[in-house]
Amino acid sequence: MKIIIDRFDGVKKYIQAYILDINEVKGKTLLALLQHIKRTQDISLNFTSACRMAICGACGVRVNGHSYLACDTKMDDLLAEYDYPDTFRISPLANFKVLSDLVVDWEPSIENLRKVKPTITAKDEFSEKNGCTQTQEEVDTIKKQWDCILCGCCASECNKLEADSSDYMQPFVYTHAFRAAYDSRSKDSLKHLKPAINNGLWNCVHCQECADRCPKGISAADDISNLRVLAMKKGLKKGTGPAHAEAFLLDLENTGRLNEIYLALRSEGVLANTTKIDIAYNLMKAGKMNPLHIFGDDKIEGHEDLIKMIKAARAANKE
Amino acid sequence: MNKESFNRRDFLKSSTIGVGVLAASSSPVSIMAKELKKDSTKNSLPAIDVLVIGSGGAGLRAAVAVRKKYPNLSVVVVNKGMPSRNATCMAEGGINGVIDFENGDSNKLHAYDTVKGSDFLGDQDAIIKFAKKATEAIHELDYAGMPFNRQKDKSVARRFAGGAKYERCNYAADKTGSIMMHTCLDEAITYGVQFLLDHYLLDIATNEGECEGVVLLNIQNGKVLPVLAKSVILATGGYTRVFYNRTSTPFNASGDGIAAALRAGLAFKDPEMLQFHPTGVRNGGALITEAARGLGGKLINNKGERFMSKYSTRLELAPRDIVSRSIETEIRLGNGFSKGMDAYVLLDVTHLGEEKIMNELPQIRHVGLLFEGMDLVKEPIKIRPTAHYSMGGIEIAKFDDMSTHLAGLYAAGETSCASIHGANRLGGNSLADAAVTGKLAGEGAGEYASKKKNFSSGKHAKELAKQWRAKIKDITNSSSNTSEFYDLREEFGQYNWDNMGIFRTGEKLQKHIKILDDIWAKYNNIKIANPNMFYNTALIEYLEFGNLILLARCACLAALNRKESRGAHTREDYPKRDDVNFLKHSLVTLKDDKLHIAYKDVVITEFAVEERKY
Repeated sequence: MKIIIDRFDGVKKYIQAYILDINEVKGKTLLALLQHIKRTQDISLNFTSACRMAICGACGVRVNGHSYLACDTKMDDLLAEYDYPDTFRISPLANFKVLSDLVVDWEPSIENLRKVKPTITAKDEFSEKNGCTQTQEEVDTIKKQWDCILCGCCASECNKLEADSSDYMQPFVYTHAFRAAYDSRSKDSLKHLKPAINNGLWNCVHCQECADRCPKGISAADDISNLRVLAMKKGLKKGTGPAHAEAFLLDLENTGRLNEIYLALRSEGVLANTTKIDIAYNLMKAGKMNPLHIFGDDKIEGHEDLIKMIKAARAANKE
Repeated sequence: MNKESFNRRDFLKSSTIGVGVLAASSSPVSIMAKELKKDSTKNSLPAIDVLVIGSGGAGLRAAVAVRKKYPNLSVVVVNKGMPSRNATCMAEGGINGVIDFENGDSNKLHAYDTVKGSDFLGDQDAIIKFAKKATEAIHELDYAGMPFNRQKDKSVARRFAGGAKYERCNYAADKTGSIMMHTCLDEAITYGVQFLLDHYLLDIATNEGECEGVVLLNIQNGKVLPVLAKSVILATGGYTRVFYNRTSTPFNASGDGIAAALRAGLAFKDPEMLQFHPTGVRNGGALITEAARGLGGKLINNKGERFMSKYSTRLELAPRDIVSRSIETEIRLGNGFSKGMDAYVLLDVTHLGEEKIMNELPQIRHVGLLFEGMDLVKEPIKIRPTAHYSMGGIEIAKFDDMSTHLAGLYAAGETSCASIHGANRLGGNSLADAAVTGKLAGEGAGEYASKKKNFSSGKHAKELAKQWRAKIKDITNSSSNTSEFYDLREEFGQYNWDNMGIFRTGEKLQKHIKILDDIWAKYNNIKIANPNMFYNTALIEYLEFGNLILLARCACLAALNRKESRGAHTREDYPKRDDVNFLKHSLVTLKDDKLHIAYKDVVITEFAVEERKY
């Protein structure tokens, strides 16, 4: 069996193949396999690990392009997952700066966490001397997010970061913002919401890859959506993102049909859209946008029921 | 003046908060930024008011404590990697501290249970204060946002832990340690604590009886860096990795702080006190939580017998040390499966049924699948006791501020020995120890740094750095292509397990001293065949291994000289506790490459020494 590893020695990038007997692979975890290679074949191979039982987050790597927590991944399962290949390719997490081989730089992530101020400010009725009170139900609303171990698997899969990381943070940063903003003991969710909005909250592209690959089953995508909802409830409606969301809702209420023309105009305004006439033209040519819809279009079948559902959801939210 | 290539400004730039961010944030930090500009013209060593080494629960707690009480001081937490990779996050059960005083429990009873659990080797003055502070710590963590499980009355949920008379083990599901550590990390991040990632502690520099700073290795580029500090807090965890191939400790907890303190002339208190947990997976020793036995798990030998009935009326629910000894006895009697380091007995929970296992023990089912490929819903799992916690550590001079006998040096958590845990730690007291001693050390070190006007000259730090540069060059400058050092480390782990493990005798320990000397000699001749200094993890592992050998030698010397059985320390040739001769702490020091042992009386105040019975 061949294990190809993406190497980086501080100066140059290259790939290196390690040949292993299948018996050296079977029964091991991915982390144990990396250790085995380091011990028996190449002492210069670098990766990090600490707890080896999926709680410290040190050993996130990619196999064939997908992120895994090495200690929590059995080679037998990997073999089955990829239909018993004769080669695996192991690479460092994507969307991180690589320091060496499979080791990545976490400093920027700490700075991103710092932006969203991940600790709650407890309400005035609570004190450091007597602590806080909370019901188990209230704990349960943020419990899942506390499983985050900062392994970076979600960030590695993130398509938005891949495309442009200049106006976005790692998905787990929003998860941390969520757990502070939603904590019932918290006095001020804006403290976490505002920096989240100012640092890309509305730029998530909804690809769900973060949720798909989290070894702890956390959905950063859901946390991002929930933070957006909370932001709009708190009146933070400035910008394209919130306008886009409101345009969606309006379309549902009006006809139940997404009106691409109105959506664009309401999201970004008339002025911004004048620069996008070529896109609109292409969409129309391809049949993706009906120019007649500028006059409005017909309601969908069962629209009355849809309005009832929206009303019920609103009422439930108010309770 | 010897020009150092790395000045103070560079140092702070390389720590994760940029200078621009510094200037933009709150006022206390801005003062630092101004200072930075001033200093960038000088060729001085990088200097930090309070330097925290290690970022587990204790280190993070300490850093936050400094920021809260002395916001004008600069605080930097140094870590070997990313701050959240530590042993604290592996704790499962809970954190002790009385918060319910209505039902008869009190801080005094917590203190008594701790003293009794310690087999009376714990210092009672420290333990009494500790129990009181543990209550405060729970409320503080709650206030800082730790999501504890809750009771009906909205207060923090608590359960029984081993050796406790009342329910005072506060918990957050079965991952209290992870949740506590992330609470502390979030708080540190929010409070503006700076982190220096990927830096390894090589040594502590002293000058005329005072700590002047440390020497660090920048793992990212291999440069050796002397750093000045007004005060240093060591929070680098324990050293149970001396049992390399069978321990529940993470790979990176290698006792670096204790070893550095030893080299700086400090005493290592009670190094022989190493705790074993009865149930680790056979393959490596990752932990299977006590809850498996609590819910009715049975221990089975190769004859199919539920053998615990031979050893304790409480069967599998006897204290940790008793269950560990029983399992090892079975293996020695030939009633275990397999041989040598592979030997094991079985833990059977299949009778609990799939639903209960999936609901209440999902983690250990996962561990079973991961390490043994066994589904414990269907079959019993292979287990053996595993090295778990080190009660010994750097001798603390004063519990109130966790100061050591070296001015300006503080220690906290598993690195320190106050001594709260004596010869045996109770479940739930380790997280409480980290939270309590971390905060005390932070406040102590903060006060010391705020009073101290100037940094030392750094003469000794520069000298040490020079020595380390030469040493590292020597170690890595080799073309040999061997990894014999990994084999030696495995061998070392096995020898420690066989000779200094759960059962000890004078004969074995005497032999072991010689073995460790040999391993030490071999170690010093090994070279690392990787001269690339960019993130050279083999070099770090090599340096960690050196520290572990030093600490194992201390433990062996103290174990040989403690001719009694007390808590985790079992001498088959001296099966009884000997209060006449050994109601005292071992203190091991290092001088001219030789180890010396001395003794110090246990502090007994409130609770009379009695037989430890459960």
